[in-house]
Amino acid sequence: MRRAGVELLRPSSLEELDGGVFVHGGTEVVPLLREGLLVAEQLVDVRGVVPRGVRNGVIGAGTTLAELEADSSIPEALREACRLAASPQLRNMGSLGGNLLQATRCWYWRLDYPCRLHGGDRCHARDGEHREHAIFANDFCASAHPSDVAAALVALGATLRTNRRELPLEELYRLPDGADRRTTTLEDGELILEAALPPVEASAYLKAMDRRRWSFPQVGVAAARVGGETRIALAGVAPIPWRLESVDELDRATPLPRAEWKVPLARALVRRALSALG
Amino acid sequence: MARLIRTEKEVEGRFEEVWIVVEEDPLEQWPEGARSVVGRPAPRQDGPLRVRGEARYTADIKLPGMLHAAVLRSPHAHAKVRRIDLAPALAVPGVRAALGPGEAHGLEEEAGWAGAPVAAVAADTFAQARAAVEAIDVEWGELEVVLDPEEAIRRGHLTGEARRSERGDVDRAFAEADVVVEGTYRTQTVLHNSLETHQAICEWQGDALHVYISTQYIWGIRQEVAETLGLPEDKVRVICEFMGGGFGAKNGPDEYTFVAAELAKRTGCPVRCALTRREEHTSAGNRNSTIQRLRAAARSDGTIVALEGEFINSVGWSGWSSPTEGPMRALYACENVRTVTHAAQLNTPPMKAFRAPGFAEGTFGLECLIEDLAARLEIDPLELRRSNYAESNEGTPYSSKNLEKCYRLAEPHWERRHEVRARSGTVWKRGVGMASQIWYGGGGPPSYAWIRLGSDGRATVVTAMQDIGTGTRTAMAQIAAEELRIPLESVDVVLGDSARGPYASISAGSSTTPSMGPAVRAAAADAREQIEDIAEQRGLPRDTPVAEVVGLLEEAQILGRGARGPNPTGMSVLTFGVHVVEVAVDVETGEVRVERVAAIHDVGRIINPLGASSQVEGGVIQGIGHTFSENRLLDPETGRVLTTSLDAYRMPTIADVPEIVCEFVDKPDEHLTNLGSKGLGEPPIVPIAAAIANAIRDATGAEVHELPISREEMLRALEAANAKGRRGAPAAV
Repeated sequence: MRRAGVELLRPSSLEELDGGVFVHGGTEVVPLLREGLLVAEQLVDVRGVVPRGVRNGVIGAGTTLAELEADSSIPEALREACRLAASPQLRNMGSLGGNLLQATRCWYWRLDYPCRLHGGDRCHARDGEHREHAIFANDFCASAHPSDVAAALVALGATLRTNRRELPLEELYRLPDGADRRTTTLEDGELILEAALPPVEASAYLKAMDRRRWSFPQVGVAAARVGGETRIALAGVAPIPWRLESVDELDRATPLPRAEWKVPLARALVRRALSALG
Repeated sequence: MARLIRTEKEVEGRFEEVWIVVEEDPLEQWPEGARSVVGRPAPRQDGPLRVRGEARYTADIKLPGMLHAAVLRSPHAHAKVRRIDLAPALAVPGVRAALGPGEAHGLEEEAGWAGAPVAAVAADTFAQARAAVEAIDVEWGELEVVLDPEEAIRRGHLTGEARRSERGDVDRAFAEADVVVEGTYRTQTVLHNSLETHQAICEWQGDALHVYISTQYIWGIRQEVAETLGLPEDKVRVICEFMGGGFGAKNGPDEYTFVAAELAKRTGCPVRCALTRREEHTSAGNRNSTIQRLRAAARSDGTIVALEGEFINSVGWSGWSSPTEGPMRALYACENVRTVTHAAQLNTPPMKAFRAPGFAEGTFGLECLIEDLAARLEIDPLELRRSNYAESNEGTPYSSKNLEKCYRLAEPHWERRHEVRARSGTVWKRGVGMASQIWYGGGGPPSYAWIRLGSDGRATVVTAMQDIGTGTRTAMAQIAAEELRIPLESVDVVLGDSARGPYASISAGSSTTPSMGPAVRAAAADAREQIEDIAEQRGLPRDTPVAEVVGLLEEAQILGRGARGPNPTGMSVLTFGVHVVEVAVDVETGEVRVERVAAIHDVGRIINPLGASSQVEGGVIQGIGHTFSENRLLDPETGRVLTTSLDAYRMPTIADVPEIVCEFVDKPDEHLTNLGSKGLGEPPIVPIAAAIANAIRDATGAEVHELPISREEMLRALEAANAKGRRGAPAAV
């Protein structure tokens, strides 16, 4: 039975961490538990151990999206990604670290179809209803990554610090494959603590939704100029946040038939984001 | 005096001939225009209760010892229960009783869609009931699934015979016409998503059954529950004091009511059976999708000479075939019209009435086609609509029609198109579009109200109607206050309980105000006449203020009764309107912003202008959701609903709401009852999608043919328009 016998732990130091499912704002974990997509005997409330707030370009993973949205020291792409994510209530609760670990909104995955991401042997979206799905890296699993914030931070060239290591944010993500269905490289017990940003010269985030607010991205485009280099990252187009070297890479997209519309949409948004960098 | 008449009764565009007892309606209508209370804006009397959370909805009712039911639903779109074992469910802690197929009305062995109710369990908590439902052991025999409506029609899978209508010589008119346009239009399946989910609590008191239910029709529930359970109707008491929306999906009792009643009987405890939000998306009804193949022909002077439509309603496993052809038959004067409407039976969730069923869908197709005709004829779209004005409803005179007045009121909004277009840039193109509205909304008898006045000068209206969230309570209080010439604050309305008041009409088909309002006025007039008689006996003038006269009563009370009189015979009672919409379209990304909606409606006398504009705003906003973002999707392989949650099924938020300008003709229908009021629940959702589509066309030249106007559809239409080499506004005059 759902929720029966779940133990809630509230550690006050990193040393006390010992297994369990980490929860911060609860906006991601609680719905997954309720749907039975995540099973936990122990829930670990990490609010006591994860840093919160922004100092010298280092963002505590416990900082809420609402706080980032309002912080003038944060680059525009990240502020805008936060502002366009979810609803004010969710942004008041949701943390940066949790947002980076969001599961896909693929309806087949959410409804617990025995798909590849769940360990099964087919991608139901590929043969079925895939109009909101991936246009890159979609032959094994066509799910689309939902995080606006992740796309922004990838474009900004963020580095993560966990309780075990430091890594470029891009290395947090991996494409699922036959041997390993996970979409992140996070190990058991590993906890994201901080994201560090390099100096950013200019950045922008643009997002297409089918209503004005409170939608996951149909296509989200982050662009940034960092140390003279222009970096582009997209949300909603691949099973993980997706780097593009240039707008021309969209010519090599592999959309499923009903997701073809995302390609011209992404092209228009990438051009626009690049021109916004000035 | 009561008399027996044979009359045509209409609900949601469905007609039947019935014998009914009606009472005369001798009261003269009030003169046109705002009165002292009626026709003036009044905030909802129950607004503070609702806002403070003190209004008790069905969802808030907790009876002592109440159990919770959960329903086992078919995971298959078409299957039959071969074997079912309820024992594992009964072994779950807290479980009190379980029902298999056939043990309550609505639980069936054959499931015709994924989500069909099969079995049910009652337990101390809802979580226990859910766990028990999951423990039920079922062996299914899967059957063939049909999901494609055109395949269903080819194979004769129909919920009923095709409906055909024909007038004039259509083939000849097409052959002789100067211009012919045609198009195929599609509308999607959308969900009602009332704030309050479908639910009932049943409690047996001896041989009487009390049903607390979120419903649009207290008396229909009473009748259907009594008939199904073999009870005298007076043994069924139905209670719905506050209600969180229905939109057509809560007209009947459905399986949850019968499950609660049977489980309550078996356990001796009150039982709640409430659908979850997920169940709302699979098992609570929908506006079915349609395919519309349409043709129109005109002479070069703009006279529409022929209309033809083939309509496919994807009804689902069961339900009725909405009048999708209705607007084509009735909106314009046209001598030659032929329609055929097919009703496809599919292994998909059954449709239910949804705010102007058929007409909302059919108006999208027809009014986009008319726009196309205007473009081909190079005639101003407003002018084309005006010049094909219908003077009768297929030969039957209207009780009243002020659509021309609506068009006149639309002129300044339509005039803005030059200025709106001029604000177009290279990326954002702006334009203006319009669409006309026709729908029913006359209500009808029988409906009754009582009124009670005491020496405190206060009046209480008593009638067993429901206020489904539309502000009916306040409108009824205004009518009583007006007739009694007392302040609005001195009137209370008691409703929502079949044991506390007389029969009242269904709140569907835009009928509440036109059905109930005249009965309330008649009751108030009855009371007022008695008060005037008393005044006269005291030597006071007959028009002495009511409070002064009833002050003499002490414990005595004045009791008035009123009945809804008949509808005018030999006349069509219809509502009319026009929407003028301004949009901005990002031609690179396909983003569409609705910037302004002018909604002009002719629904007879307006009782409460504030409540009326709320209704229009709600209809427009719901219609914007249906136009852009709401789309119930099925897995094409299994037929299971994929959009079961509100993040996948996207309703509009406040950020999607444009400026909405509401205007009313506000002219009483002189043939309709003592009020001259028609209903307004449905009209505002009818023309909005077509008006938006026509504005998009005006802005960009792109012709959308599908709802929702998703990015996919918008980008396709923009691409097609580019390919044709068209730019700007082809219909511009």
